[in-house]
Amino acid sequence: MSVLLKLTDVAVYVGDTCLLEPISLELKQGVPLTILGQTGSGKSLLAQAVMGLLPATLSLRGVVEVFGKPLPLSERQSLWGREMVMLPQEPWHALDPLMKGIHQVAEVYQHVQGQSYQQAMAGAAQDLQQVGLADSAHKRPGQLSGGMAQRLAISAATAGGAHVILADEPTKGLDVSRRDGIVRLLQSRSAQGSLLTITHDVAIARQLGGELLVMKEGRLVEQGKAVEVLDHPQDSYTQALIAAEPIAWREVARPSRDQAAETVLMAENIAIARGGRTLFEGVSFSVKKGEVVGVVGDSGCGKSSLGDALLGLLPVSAGKITRSNNTAKPYQWLKLYQDPPSAFTASVSLGTLLNDLVRLHGIAQERIAPLMTRLNLPETLLQRSCLEVSGGELQRFAILRALLLDPVFLFADEPTSRLDPITAKDVTHLLVELARETGCAVLMVSHDPDLVQKTCDQVIAL
Amino acid sequence: MTRTMTRSQWAGLSVLLGLLVFSFMGMVFSPYSISQQDLNAVLDPPSMVHWLGTDHFGRSMFTRMAHAVGLSFALGVLCVVTSSLLGTALGVWAVWGGKKVDHALGVVVNILLALPGLVVVLLFAAIVPGSFWILYLAISLVQWVEYFRVVRAITQNVIESPARQSSHMMGFGRWYQFKRHIWPAIAPSVFTLAAFGGANAILTMASLGFVYVGIQPPLAELGLMTVELFPFYSDAPWLLAQPLVVIALMVFGFHLLAGKRV
Repeated sequence: MSVLLKLTDVAVYVGDTCLLEPISLELKQGVPLTILGQTGSGKSLLAQAVMGLLPATLSLRGVVEVFGKPLPLSERQSLWGREMVMLPQEPWHALDPLMKGIHQVAEVYQHVQGQSYQQAMAGAAQDLQQVGLADSAHKRPGQLSGGMAQRLAISAATAGGAHVILADEPTKGLDVSRRDGIVRLLQSRSAQGSLLTITHDVAIARQLGGELLVMKEGRLVEQGKAVEVLDHPQDSYTQALIAAEPIAWREVARPSRDQAAETVLMAENIAIARGGRTLFEGVSFSVKKGEVVGVVGDSGCGKSSLGDALLGLLPVSAGKITRSNNTAKPYQWLKLYQDPPSAFTASVSLGTLLNDLVRLHGIAQERIAPLMTRLNLPETLLQRSCLEVSGGELQRFAILRALLLDPVFLFADEPTSRLDPITAKDVTHLLVELARETGCAVLMVSHDPDLVQKTCDQVIAL
Repeated sequence: MTRTMTRSQWAGLSVLLGLLVFSFMGMVFSPYSISQQDLNAVLDPPSMVHWLGTDHFGRSMFTRMAHAVGLSFALGVLCVVTSSLLGTALGVWAVWGGKKVDHALGVVVNILLALPGLVVVLLFAAIVPGSFWILYLAISLVQWVEYFRVVRAITQNVIESPARQSSHMMGFGRWYQFKRHIWPAIAPSVFTLAAFGGANAILTMASLGFVYVGIQPPLAELGLMTVELFPFYSDAPWLLAQPLVVIALMVFGFHLLAGKRV
């Protein structure tokens, strides 16, 4: 087994501040290497350092050896495309939005490999067939789904003949069902070389096998065979990361529905159409007080639209929604948003926003402090604006604001999909617990069936 | 609202404040009036008696310049205040008031946009020549359209935003939503437009004065003074230079104040 890539004490500095502590690793032929870590753990910096893509303000120390030779930056860049390639995080940013898929792949054959136009088109057509995009070869990226776009991006990136593939969060924003396909595709593409994957998703690390590195805040915490590390994690951080996977969560769903609880909302045979297309029809269910209802389905199937319709933000095209609780005020039907920063105005501090709410609805001040402790929100948070706090804190603050209004129904639209796994677990559990305590019904939308399975009393699959 | 100003914006502000102080001092402390003639001392160069010299009727240039600058500032500020208030209010209303309101306002705006601004102002100025108030009305009428278009475009995004939706669902009223969500989003653009608008209003008034349809003699107005002093450009170039330099300074000051964003 030859060593394709070897890093010896590679560190990244900005000025004198160390962003990535010295790290050594070897990428061997046929043995995929996975780097696991949360946002801000420095894993993307490492990939950029390997490729030679670091911004000019950052400096690299240590030695990067490619194919057994230490190569300076400029020579590493000459290997791009032909020998090693880095896959983009978000395919939408990497593909030309105006160019048909097949031309984007053929271009690589033509200009990198120097083939004639006909040869290149034939090669591209064959590639797209292999990844199951034969029917969509003449579509533009905007007409493709996330998974299809990522497959197209992978085809284009690997058409140059590179066998050493660096993939930075290759499945970001993809549904679970699409995720496995992408990982398999990456495995087959790197069969003759090797694959270095950067991810926060334990499931991907498990699926890829090979070697595993766990990173935290620019530091290596654990290293070893993927199977061993994942099954017998030594470091407490690795343990927390593995425990944060929805599949490993403890069951908090109640086994049987509380028949005596009063019904909050009834939906009968509802259908929703958007832009002339019917997203779903004939959906019926009822939501009881204190119940957590999960909605699962692939992206674009109308999960969020269902929640918006229940809140009256979108019209339904057929069927009836009945709110049983007539005493509840309109402001007790609330929503938690997917992207916490976009749900707050950055013009004033969070404390001001909270005061606005307290003044508007005459909420008792003494309710705030215990709830903040419960949600693990520090007092100092209130002096900052929504851009200066983390996503997890902000989502918990959003829950705080909602709970102060004594909601009867809360629509949580993928409330944790933008958060790191460990944070996501905490926030989800808190939300479920508090909903049960306060008797608020929650409709939780998620693309992760495991998460819904573990936390919800009732599941609606669209 | 705290807005950090760059150094060039401070420079712009000080140029404008300097001119304002000059105008105020001139109006209050000068012993001469703007129409007081002294035919024994025409086209005098600057002296201890007349700090900026005298014009072709022997009138004190210092007094006349001070009044002209004051007049320009008054018009500029009035136009900016009126057009920004009108444009912002209508821009927000167009988004919030539903499709019908938006369409109706769209028709009015398109009609105004189809006419060149200066032509509209000339038209109004021709109806009541020499009236300060008709100039103010005409310039404001032309300028509010810009605020309207910018405010409407930004507000559309804000109205759709989860943040605004969330506030709405929590029971906050429209004034609160405007204060917390819409105003912070549009304020920087409105301030920039206002600074450019001030410069444009002053230039428009000077242009009208220059072609004799604006403010009428014997009142002092920068454009009018330029054209009156034009025949004496070789005998007394320092006189002609005064209104020109001041117009340039005022426009420069407003543009600096506007900052980098357009």
